[in-house]
Amino acid sequence: MSVDDTLNTYSAVGGIQHEEPLLFEHAHEAAEAISLPGVQGDISAELKAFSRKKSANIPGLSEPETVRHFVRMSQWNHGIETGFYPLGSCTMKYNPRVNEQVVRLSGLANIHPDQPVDSVQGVLALLHELQTWLCEIAGFSDVTLQPAAGAHGELVGLMMIRSCLDARGQQHRKKVLVPDSAHGTNPASAALCGMHCVELKSGADGRIDLEELKKHLDDDVAALMMTNPNTAGAFESDIKEICQLVHDAGGLVYGDGANLNALVGVARPGDMGIDCLHINVHKTFSTPHGGGGPGAGPVVVNDTLAPYLPVPRIVKAGDLYRIETHDEQSCGTILGSIGQVGVLLRAHAYIAAFGANYLHKIAQDAVLNANYVLHRLKDAYHVPFEGLCKHECLLTDEYQNKHGVKTLDVAKQLIDLGFHPMTIYFPLIVHGAMLIEPTETESKTTLDSFCDAMLEIAAQCEAGDTQVLHDAPVKPIRRRLDETQAARKPRLVW
Amino acid sequence: MSIPAGLKYTKEHEWVRIEGDIATFGVSDHAQEALGDIVFVELPEIGRKVDAAEAYAVVESVKAVSDIYAPVAGEIIEVNETLEGEPEKVNTEPYGAGWIAKVKISGHSDELMSDDEYTTFLEE
Amino acid sequence: MRFLPHTDSDRTTMLESMGMDAMSDLFTDIPSEFHIKEGSLNLPDALSEAAIVRKFTQASEQNRHAGNTRCFLGGGTYHHFVPAVVDYIISRGEFLTAYTPYQPEISQGTLQTLFEFQTMIARLTGMDVSNASMYEAATATAEAALMARRITRKSKVVMAGSVNPRYRSVTQNYLSRLEGEYIEVPMGNKQDGFGTDLSKVIAAIDEATACVMVQYPDFYGSVYDLAELRVACDAAKCLMVIVFSDATAFALIRSPGECGADIAVGSGQSLGIPMGFGGPHLGLFTCKQKYVRQMPGRVCGMTSDADGKRGFVLTLSTREQHIRREKATSNICSNQGLMCTAAATYMTLMGDEGLKAVAQRSAAGLHKLISSLPASVSAAQGAHFHETVLSFSSQATRDLFLQEARKRDIFAGIPLEQLNDAVEHKHLLVTTTEMIEAADIQDYIAALEVAV
Repeated sequence: MSVDDTLNTYSAVGGIQHEEPLLFEHAHEAAEAISLPGVQGDISAELKAFSRKKSANIPGLSEPETVRHFVRMSQWNHGIETGFYPLGSCTMKYNPRVNEQVVRLSGLANIHPDQPVDSVQGVLALLHELQTWLCEIAGFSDVTLQPAAGAHGELVGLMMIRSCLDARGQQHRKKVLVPDSAHGTNPASAALCGMHCVELKSGADGRIDLEELKKHLDDDVAALMMTNPNTAGAFESDIKEICQLVHDAGGLVYGDGANLNALVGVARPGDMGIDCLHINVHKTFSTPHGGGGPGAGPVVVNDTLAPYLPVPRIVKAGDLYRIETHDEQSCGTILGSIGQVGVLLRAHAYIAAFGANYLHKIAQDAVLNANYVLHRLKDAYHVPFEGLCKHECLLTDEYQNKHGVKTLDVAKQLIDLGFHPMTIYFPLIVHGAMLIEPTETESKTTLDSFCDAMLEIAAQCEAGDTQVLHDAPVKPIRRRLDETQAARKPRLVW
Repeated sequence: MSIPAGLKYTKEHEWVRIEGDIATFGVSDHAQEALGDIVFVELPEIGRKVDAAEAYAVVESVKAVSDIYAPVAGEIIEVNETLEGEPEKVNTEPYGAGWIAKVKISGHSDELMSDDEYTTFLEE
Repeated sequence: MRFLPHTDSDRTTMLESMGMDAMSDLFTDIPSEFHIKEGSLNLPDALSEAAIVRKFTQASEQNRHAGNTRCFLGGGTYHHFVPAVVDYIISRGEFLTAYTPYQPEISQGTLQTLFEFQTMIARLTGMDVSNASMYEAATATAEAALMARRITRKSKVVMAGSVNPRYRSVTQNYLSRLEGEYIEVPMGNKQDGFGTDLSKVIAAIDEATACVMVQYPDFYGSVYDLAELRVACDAAKCLMVIVFSDATAFALIRSPGECGADIAVGSGQSLGIPMGFGGPHLGLFTCKQKYVRQMPGRVCGMTSDADGKRGFVLTLSTREQHIRREKATSNICSNQGLMCTAAATYMTLMGDEGLKAVAQRSAAGLHKLISSLPASVSAAQGAHFHETVLSFSSQATRDLFLQEARKRDIFAGIPLEQLNDAVEHKHLLVTTTEMIEAADIQDYIAALEVAV
């Protein structure tokens, strides 16, 4: 450790980390198997005839070895609980521990989905309440909790739009307009619905250009998919006119709710003319990301699309909750269950903790923090689009390029300084993007430490002290990894 | 930047070597450099008939995917199976061991450029 | 608000540093007609932590669950034993609160765990490779159909009627907006029709067929020989896709790989994940090595770092949406990462022997139950793993039995018509796992004897 490291105020990676082999390299015979309950009898003779021939060769470690192995694995990770995680577009906020506690109650965790409905009224009540809350928060009339993730919600939204247009006799409408700043999942979802995307060029301010939009609005348009605030962190102030234009042309407006954190409690997408919106509860409502999932992407809809919601649906009849499984108009079944219930229950607990009286503070503090970071960094880093940002701010590496330093180098140096990097090279509409989303659960002290680190990196560039940036990171258990080697000769199993 | 004489080039940065009624396809040095480290080449099936300017192969780098278009029309008669194990040959020897496919020519294209024309095209 | 670190003076300082007076200055880009008044949403006021715990505890106590009943329900979701270590590991903040491992240097824990997961899943299913998971089994089944269409460049999908009805309806729905034929092969609903009649499936295959999808063990728990189907698929140059609902089966019976599957997909919920009223579960996706570049979803691969040390990264990302866009292998851009960690931990604790014991005891429970049935109740014929169909003389008898069982805190089975509306209302899909003890089976039989 150098002298500088001991003086800086921010946390650094590089605590005690142990090298740890793969499970398969723990070279000893399988440990005694865990003791199990159950019937210790014969299996049927018929079944015996189908016995597996070759052992699966799953290692089998003792309990102490298993715990140590996976605890060491965990220590090679950076999580929100470890440090700042300003990953733009991902809303990495603190995940309350009480939510983890309540979803593990046996009466919620150990319910079989096909139990008689009278035996699951408690969980249905919580889910139904969440349905009404999501509609109220986003300004819509109905919702499906089923989609397993944002991209899944997006697919379901397009399926509903397809069903609605078909019901109107508009089978020919197959064009989906997508701003060039949109998330990459949009075209793939459209293709699955037998539709195709047409890209809208963003205006000079990074927003949707109304003239460009009008050019594409014809009799083939099925929908516009938009994110608001957009992926550059800016609010689409023409939202009302945009929705009106699309509706007048006979299309529908799909909202990507990835950025709802900027609006929650402050404004409602449903009031602006959007027809449906998926809500990433793992972003806005703080369900943990788990290293890539599970998430959940409920889709809220207005009256136009409500008839086409997928089945099954949770409905309330008198004092009893039921699960509706059939509906002729529905866009169909999209998941093998009612949804990622454990994730949804965490979102319920999160909203309950804020309630009507505090919910707006989520958006306020999130937007305050992003603008504060933008304000502190705007002289040292190029800001492609002037003005207020919402819950995330966009910078580029234009100034640093002059010194041969790229966004990737900035990101990797942040790792050595103890921070998870921002989202890099997205959105694609600017060169060398750095998208920073601090979220509302970070203190001013943390934001200042991060900004100090960013300013230090910019100063290192100016001073020509750039080798350290190209070499970074040096502190984690591994340095930059060779992605070309991994992709050329894929080695996916041991 | 290498642009050998004797080959024809397309605006999409493919090259073609025409010998009698057989044409060999590949991508230019400029193309391989723009693509970066190539990790996979999706080769066409033998016997497939392709039109001029039709996508017949796909080249992948770590972060990008590009369709590769046929400079002339023809039937695929041979593909460079070496690329299945060593896609990096497209980077190291784009005009040699990095060739992609051979076709039996069924039509010619007016769009092809000579090495000089391609050099000028790149400069523009 | 306890999750928000700022004090009011922090907020004022920060606003002032930007030359602003009030929070509202941050939202002037939103047209004023869309601003809602602070606190005006029709939601309850904030609950304290204690109040949240009380509310959820009360809700949970209104439910019956596998902890205070005997659960003979299956049909794709199973009550297996989950060791305490599994929940401990996935509760660790470094696994729980990390994002997708896009910065591999500080995500090696998630990545190495995914690599271990992929390896163990490939070994258990007997397949060459596994991805880093899908949402759950039904969507994984749909994705397998899409993958087979891409590989074969053919479009017809033949689905056996003995595949879980939920997997079928999701697959049918996913394919319904695309060109190409989708055929479900009915298996009949006679008592002995609760199984898979391969001759009917094979008869539906033709030159245009991209893949044949069968469940093994099938939805009714039936285990059968797939050799004939493999031959038929080879003859028609189509892919054989095996779907499964309980991965622990393959510690005991022939794996999908041993049966010759080109693609095998299904549920990994049994590998250390609670039933949770339907999710989050774990979708598994495996295939032969030669199809790996057409496989949907994330995959983790081995490589080395700048110092030459072994490390892991997400790889083959060119298949994904942000690069291939509409040509992507799938629209999915996440996985069930934490559930992979749970499954990896579970399998490590169990090892071959433990997994085999889970499967063995699950099957032994069913064998014991079937051998004790009264004469007026019959079970489907043939080899079954840990579930089967019980048939009663009438709906009234069955429903009376369900009531008798409930009196004994037993969920005795799923009325089959709830999942498959084509059948008579007198069948029960019944399942046993290692969580069912011999005494539970005795009580089950006692309830039966009262009812029939």
